[in-house]
Amino acid sequence: MGFLSASTSFTRYRIIGEIPETLWAEIPDRLKKNAFQDIDHTSDERSFGWVCFDEMLDSQWHTAPPEKGEFMAFVLRLDTRRISAAVMKKHYTLALNDELQRVEKEGKKFVSRDRKREIKDQTKLRLMSRSLPIPAVFDVIWNVRSNVVYLASTQAKLLSLFEDQFTLTFDLHLELQTPYYQALQLLGENRQHQLDDVEATLFV
Amino acid sequence: MEDAYLGQANDIILGQDFLTWLWYKSEALGGTFATPDGEAFALYMEQRISVQGGEGDAKETTSVSGLMSELKEAKAGLALGKKVCKAQIKIEVDSDAWQTTLKAEDFSQTSFKTPKVEFKQEEGDDPDASFLEKMYLLERGLGFLDAVYFEFLKLRFSETWDEERKKVGRWLNKDSQSN
Repeated sequence: MGFLSASTSFTRYRIIGEIPETLWAEIPDRLKKNAFQDIDHTSDERSFGWVCFDEMLDSQWHTAPPEKGEFMAFVLRLDTRRISAAVMKKHYTLALNDELQRVEKEGKKFVSRDRKREIKDQTKLRLMSRSLPIPAVFDVIWNVRSNVVYLASTQAKLLSLFEDQFTLTFDLHLELQTPYYQALQLLGENRQHQLDDVEATLFV
Repeated sequence: MEDAYLGQANDIILGQDFLTWLWYKSEALGGTFATPDGEAFALYMEQRISVQGGEGDAKETTSVSGLMSELKEAKAGLALGKKVCKAQIKIEVDSDAWQTTLKAEDFSQTSFKTPKVEFKQEEGDDPDASFLEKMYLLERGLGFLDAVYFEFLKLRFSETWDEERKKVGRWLNKDSQSN
């Protein structure tokens, strides 16, 4: 659920390092260069990239620009094709049976391990092209004054995908605002040694 | 078990110490806190709390929930040396209310709710007005959480922490004896 929902789950980041002044004007173009590419008409397993905050089908920002007051708002879209294990098993068995009949006519009694792997890959590819990708969207909101970035997800795999895509797009690095890094931010770098040496308190 | 990333152990220590202290502090102060600018707000930990103790394979988590409950089982866990690892937090300022579930180890927020924002647009309205109001409220809510975390950190790394630690211990003993 995104930030405009009644209830949101999210993770907070801070951009570390200097942001070049020239970057601000480049943001719309950088988003477009790393925009989401549709895979409806391919058999690709997954695709991800940025789309417009106001319209997940718009990867060219015709609907609205990313700037909203002191924020840059956009969306990470991730489309994934999934094949259920039961469907895969059934179609692999069917394909394998066909292959067995074929080799028997040639006087052989079994299908080699390499050929089995090949059949499995072909089956997967065939099923992929027949299944529709499932879209998922994750809001990204960047406060350009504080350089805090909010991502509407708490899933570890998605966080890592987002961090890589953000760095690739803007050439900027993100720091997850975990208790340690938030403490460093609030207390200042000169207290780092205390944070590094912290030991758990025994309350009882 | 090794850390999943560098510094994970420090994140867990700081996050769990903070949430454990926050439960004590919110009860001791009757939920009254203030931002560094002096704005008063109320903060409670309620309805849903998880406590964790032990390490590695011996790690043990107790999750307690109840609408009007005092969460005694979770408090009993603290008296045994467990720490709060996840808690539902409610913040109130006048008639505005925020709610979130904060996880100790990474400060990720789940089910974060701000005061209600009207998304119905009328002609002539700025199309981004509701978005900006929502973000203002979200950051305002986070500001209150940051204020209590900052208060904790100042205490945690000061000479008075040992005294504060004893107060938490007395609060736990008092509550577990009254059960």
